[in-house]
Amino acid sequence: MYKGQRGGKNRFYQRRKTCRFCVDSGMEIDYKNPKGLRQFVTERGKIIPRRITGTCAKHQRQLSLAIKQARQIALLPYVGRPMH
Amino acid sequence: MRKYETVLISDPDLQSQSRADLFDRVRNIITRENGILLDFDEWGSKKLAYEIRKKLRGYYVCMTYGGDGSLVKELERNLGLSDDIMKYMTILLSDQETAESLEKQAAEANAASETAEETAPTDAAAETADTAEEKAEDQAPAEKADAPAQAAEPEAKAEAEPIEVKEE
Repeated sequence: MYKGQRGGKNRFYQRRKTCRFCVDSGMEIDYKNPKGLRQFVTERGKIIPRRITGTCAKHQRQLSLAIKQARQIALLPYVGRPMH
Repeated sequence: MRKYETVLISDPDLQSQSRADLFDRVRNIITRENGILLDFDEWGSKKLAYEIRKKLRGYYVCMTYGGDGSLVKELERNLGLSDDIMKYMTILLSDQETAESLEKQAAEANAASETAEETAPTDAAAETADTAEEKAEDQAPAEKADAPAQAAEPEAKAEAEPIEVKEE
């Protein structure tokens, strides 16, 4: 089980996160689609780590490249504005 | 030969005539350097994620083409010299292309755009119009199939989110 080895009564089980790109093969990583990439970027514009999103290593690599390319041509911000 | 993709952002305040001239010049560079233009896709004026040259909007163009490194070098040199191009980015799509495979792709792209544009005034065009209709029919159900899937997604998310909250 995920995070199960620690033992103790207060063991809490986290729902196993799955890579969204592996589950849905129709979902493609494309730097030209900023809407799709926005889900993997914080409001500040930082790339969300895969330990949070559950993306697999292979797709996270493709994702981070796509996000950086999208930033380059101003489809995504380098520094986003936080929500006040 | 290699297949590249260049996205360029041109000045949004440009007159349509001078913009057409600018894009013609860009296309000429590709043909001059023995490149094969596969696609010239104008996205139009879009909002930029950050200011470029104090401008908040940009006119995007995405073009796909086949060629060699020298073509990219020449193209980027010219894009850099032009005052009307605010930014550009070139990406390598595939480095295992031959001139034949690229020309085949270019012909396919041309055929697709022609059948879409044609309005069937003559007998010869009627045939292509029929095939275009068939294609349109093929595409239509696919789009319909997509729509329910998209509609279903928000529901699935709505169901998933409360569960996450409980767990946390």
